[in-house]
Amino acid sequence: MAAVFFSKKALTAPPTVRTLASGVPSAPLVNFAVRSPAGHGHHEHGAVGPRSDAPARWAGGVSSSPVSGLSSKTFVSAPTTGVYQQRLLSTSAVCKDAPQVPDFSDYQAKSPSTNRGLAYFMIGSLGVLTASAAKSTVTEFLATMSASADVLALAKVEVELASIPEGKNVIIKWRGKPVFIRHRTQEEINEAKSTDWKTLRDPESDESRTKKPEWLVMLGVCTHLGCVPIGEAGDYGGWFCPCHGSHYDISGRIRKGPAPLNLEVPAYDFTEGDAKLIVG
Amino acid sequence: MLSRLPASSLKGLRSLAEARPSAARSAAQTASRVRFSSSSASSSAVKSFLDSRATLASATLLTVGSIAWYTHLYGSLPFLGEVHANSPAEEGLHPPHYPWSHGGLLDSFDHSSIRRGYQVYREVCAACHSLDRIAWRNLVGVSHSVDEVKAMAEEVEYEDGPNDQGEMFQRPGKLSDYMPPPYPNEEAARASNQGALPPDLSLIVKARHGGPDYIFALLTGYRDAPAGFEIRDGMNYNPYFPGNAISMARVLFDGLVEYEDGTPATTSQMAKDVVTFLNWAAEPEHDERKKAGLKAVILFSALTAISLYVKRYKWAPIKSRKIIYNPPADKGHH
Amino acid sequence: MGVFNTFYNTIAKRNSIFVPTIFATAFAFSISFDVGVTSFWDRWNQGKQWKDIRHKYVQDSE
Repeated sequence: MAAVFFSKKALTAPPTVRTLASGVPSAPLVNFAVRSPAGHGHHEHGAVGPRSDAPARWAGGVSSSPVSGLSSKTFVSAPTTGVYQQRLLSTSAVCKDAPQVPDFSDYQAKSPSTNRGLAYFMIGSLGVLTASAAKSTVTEFLATMSASADVLALAKVEVELASIPEGKNVIIKWRGKPVFIRHRTQEEINEAKSTDWKTLRDPESDESRTKKPEWLVMLGVCTHLGCVPIGEAGDYGGWFCPCHGSHYDISGRIRKGPAPLNLEVPAYDFTEGDAKLIVG
Repeated sequence: MLSRLPASSLKGLRSLAEARPSAARSAAQTASRVRFSSSSASSSAVKSFLDSRATLASATLLTVGSIAWYTHLYGSLPFLGEVHANSPAEEGLHPPHYPWSHGGLLDSFDHSSIRRGYQVYREVCAACHSLDRIAWRNLVGVSHSVDEVKAMAEEVEYEDGPNDQGEMFQRPGKLSDYMPPPYPNEEAARASNQGALPPDLSLIVKARHGGPDYIFALLTGYRDAPAGFEIRDGMNYNPYFPGNAISMARVLFDGLVEYEDGTPATTSQMAKDVVTFLNWAAEPEHDERKKAGLKAVILFSALTAISLYVKRYKWAPIKSRKIIYNPPADKGHH
Repeated sequence: MGVFNTFYNTIAKRNSIFVPTIFATAFAFSISFDVGVTSFWDRWNQGKQWKDIRHKYVQDSE
């Protein structure tokens, strides 16, 4: 017991080791948990606690028993003790200067430049997928702001053109606003075309306002303050706004009165061999 | 109990009992020998117990096992509430699971079945059941072409207005109109059906426990009431209906409709088609949803895998580094 | 010189090439991924979708 009592002097002498009858070395009464001395001159304030580099008990270690003598077991590949540390009671091999144990070469990149290329490739791929997903997210989100299908279904109005005789106006409702459709006669077309439109307040040619000269399609909202003009009235044979006296001609252009612009032409199209007009 | 055991086992017990004190003694000896300077042995034992993989594995196993046991006992996951439209007691006979053409994770609707199902709905179900949430335009590109749907819609008169004289007027249907209801209001529906209200079918597949399986089983499940089961006048026996007495009589009989594509119109064929149609009506987004789900699963798995690689890549130098402290050389006394 | 080395030397070496390449690839990827998933979807659900039965009911005038 005296040999292993940890006195102020660090233990430097090897303990008595004897050999059992079986040939196994035995070192009874050796404290394997003894900590390393902090070195010469550090007696008073040495580190407390177990050695920091000693493997934990679950990792194996050296044990002694009267039956089997000294035995050393290792359950994990523990790191080797650094060379700068003194090893006092060692029955294992001496620590080498530059040990390659454990051998990490399997885990090391075969070629650093290839490894770098791979890393950049993976990070680039991450960027590609993220950018693609982000783009889809944004576009899908923006799509939720557009009109829904039931609103879009109401946004178009079909008109049977055969039911409108020549020289007649028809007013239909489209998105809550009146739309004027006029089946113009040949004289009206001639009159609209012969007008010197460049001198008008809102210069627009009749050709740019109609897709087919016999059909004039306009929003029936006065551009002045939003009244609904009266058809076949006014000084120019077109429309007349009763609110403030704006006169529109047979092409819906402003000719007289306070309104600043011509009557607006909505988007429309002819389908089924000109039998139908679709507004919207 | 002990008396019935053979002597040998008792002997074994005794030897075990003998072995134990000696083992304990030797353990105590080694402990007394080993523990000279260490005061942290017991706490490190607790720590190694907490750190060990066996502890982790057994704790996980215990958790999973108790959840599985609970689920087995009570039929639902613990701490997760469930809402059922019906309580199990009044649920009626549970419908069998049918192999729907759209049942799989990647299966779209069978659109020719939707088309046939619409025909069944129009010719049979629409006499009593409304389909309020489906507009004519919804059929376009799903089961019918634009011209077909326009023609079908124009056969129905809708009230519109007011016109210039401030009066409502009738006009032929347009694509934007919704399916016409068979009754103007709920009271009229009840009055024509002996007090029972035929439910709207727009979301019926989602609204019934069992979904398409239940509707199919209900439509094909009419039979004579078993002996002893009292059926009131005007009610019909159906084992799948909660309460087993349903106001709706059996409507589907073999050859009731004539399919334009020549499919034999058996009762089960019509039931399958109309349930597929109603399932589409309840989930019109179904096909797009499954397609988007497929895309999302592929994309997010790839993103997860690459993220794991990048995490390892970034952490490898941090985890494998070694910090060495070399104490300064002691210049004091020797 | 492996594939990844070539990748590094041609694309990743300069950030001014790397980042635009990522965005260009993302654009191409989102289109090709969409096309790929759609073609798989159409093959998986062959004969069930409206586009598969449309020809029975619509005679294209054009």
